[in-house]
Amino acid sequence: MRQPAVKSVLRRLASTKLTLLWMVLLGVGATLSYGNPVETSIWVLIVPMLLLAINLVAAIISNPRINRRGGLLVFHIGLLGIVVLAAIGRLTHMEARVEIISGNEFSHDHLIEVRAGPLHNGAINEVRFVQGPYTVEYRARMSRGRTYSQVAIPDGEGGWYESVVGDDRPLVIEGYRFYTTFNKGFAPIMSWIGEEGNVIETGAVHMPSYPLFDFKQSNSWTPKGGDEIKFWLQLETGLNAEEAWVLDGREATGTLVVNVAGKRTELLPGESVKMAGGSLRYEQLTTWMGYKLYYDPTLQWMFLISVITVAGLGGHFWRKLSAEPLGLDDALRGEKKLVKGSVPAPRSASV
Amino acid sequence: MTELPWLYAALSAYALATIASLVGVGRLGTPATSPADFAVSEDQRNNERLVLALMTASVILLVVTLTDRWLRIGHGPFVNLFELLISQLFSLGLVYAVAYWRIPVLRPTSVVVLPLMGVLAVWVLVLEPSDSVFPPTYHNPWLWAHVGFGKFFLAFSLIGTGLAGVILLRSRAYFKNLFRHLPDNVILDKLAWRFMLLALVFDSLMLIAGGVWAQDAWGRYWAWDALETSSFLNWLLLGASIHARTTYNVPIRVGALLIIGIFVFAFVTYFGTPFYSEAAHKGVI
Ligand code: HEM
Repeated sequence: MRQPAVKSVLRRLASTKLTLLWMVLLGVGATLSYGNPVETSIWVLIVPMLLLAINLVAAIISNPRINRRGGLLVFHIGLLGIVVLAAIGRLTHMEARVEIISGNEFSHDHLIEVRAGPLHNGAINEVRFVQGPYTVEYRARMSRGRTYSQVAIPDGEGGWYESVVGDDRPLVIEGYRFYTTFNKGFAPIMSWIGEEGNVIETGAVHMPSYPLFDFKQSNSWTPKGGDEIKFWLQLETGLNAEEAWVLDGREATGTLVVNVAGKRTELLPGESVKMAGGSLRYEQLTTWMGYKLYYDPTLQWMFLISVITVAGLGGHFWRKLSAEPLGLDDALRGEKKLVKGSVPAPRSASV
Repeated sequence: MTELPWLYAALSAYALATIASLVGVGRLGTPATSPADFAVSEDQRNNERLVLALMTASVILLVVTLTDRWLRIGHGPFVNLFELLISQLFSLGLVYAVAYWRIPVLRPTSVVVLPLMGVLAVWVLVLEPSDSVFPPTYHNPWLWAHVGFGKFFLAFSLIGTGLAGVILLRSRAYFKNLFRHLPDNVILDKLAWRFMLLALVFDSLMLIAGGVWAQDAWGRYWAWDALETSSFLNWLLLGASIHARTTYNVPIRVGALLIIGIFVFAFVTYFGTPFYSEAAHKGVI
């Protein structure tokens, strides 16, 4: 008695009328997600996808029109796989930004704007690389071209190897993908020197993104117990908005204007200024690079399954084509049998 | 703009092909009086040869146009609308010309397909032929795959649309006569949906290649940006229409309207979304 009841429930769940309804719902959800507005809940996509998945599983179990046709079956199972992988991807992914000063090593403590799925468990603390110099090509009218950012990565045998990454050639370590961005700039390295001439602290003043904020290369720092120190960097980078140029921090020079309590001093690299409690030395000019980080362990699988999915659809098409070729030529072009009213009946009404 | 004379020559050839196909099919407009009138005459065949020759000439001239521009500005036709339209005129023309040549039953669809391509041709003429700047994220082999699959998707949808157009035109007495040597609507409908199924294969491939490219270019494979959402909806509409046809007994003319709807949606996705939405394919900015 139970068998038929289960079957009838399955058949109802597998209804292709429901498929259409859920597809419309998914269309509505996708429309609401248009442009990825923050206020749109992810559920407008999850709910229709779940309903479609239930519908599809039921159809695969109970409908011979899908489960007896190999290519079509692969295609539909593939669609299911893609949805499952996308869900796993969202649960385990991580996205973040990080800005690294040339010469410094990446540290996950400096990650900002971190967004991670609840099941994210990547080994970000195993990621090691050192930021090197970089160049960015610009064409006339400040249109940004390619970025070549040099990084050094431990080779696992005590040495390092170099790699060049860019906006579209990420550095991939432990599954984390680091992409360069438009967000990059300069950083004067400063040392705070005590009364006895000993270096107490060396650090970088992180100037705003360049050349985006070419006009306001300023920042400030307040030493413990001291007055706020204002920095303003006057850069010479060869920037010429009308012509092509290459941004290369190694070729750039910068005069640092230091302002403490209304007293203004201009410094070149190597020069220092005295202030209460010690002096401040401008060591050198360096650069920083802003990276976008992306981690999603499903990427390769997603690609593989998508390709298999389309291959299934292609196979389904191919089988149809060999069963009933496209070239209806014989049935055409003035052959007598085609005279009005004598058209051969199609074998099936479906495509 | 050394490519412009080539472009004008190519568009003239398209215009002539369109006129020739309209004249050719129009000539069938006289009422049939004998069974022979349902056959394709030698005149008609010559006309088809002329249309094919003009289309081929146009495609070759577009290749010259694109090559000339490529050599001049240093990158392919991937960035601004002017380039995209020329590139589509080339690929749609090429695929359609091959289909026209190999699948004779499609030939009368040229009275629908060529005027549709005429819309692109007129559009390209009113655009400023400005040089574009190649975004840094476009140096990627997946761009080629993405664009290439997309071209086949659009071309197969266009062929489906041509058949759908013929089906709809046929419902009027005058046109019925023009297309009298074509098989019954049931067969045209089936053929049209075959092309739509093929379009779905290429649409899916386009989305996959686009995802791989987006991962490299913007560090994420899918983000529901305007263009991604629009292409997904297009894919879904195509899949849902195929389903609707297997689920319900969709009348042939409604099916034809669905095909046209899918094509229009694709058209807007291709030539509208990237240009009215600031956010679309951010790499351009
Ligand atoms: C998720 C729930 C889905 C279910 C339950 C489902 C079910 C089915 C079934 C039963 C068939 C066989 C139809 C027949 O010939 O009678 C079929 C065919 C097909 N489905 Fe789906 N499907 C689903 C989703 C999709 C989606 C999302 C797409 C693509 C956008 C799609 C594309 C197709 C195609 C192209 C065919 C082949 C049609 C033909 O060649 O006649 N399906 N589906």
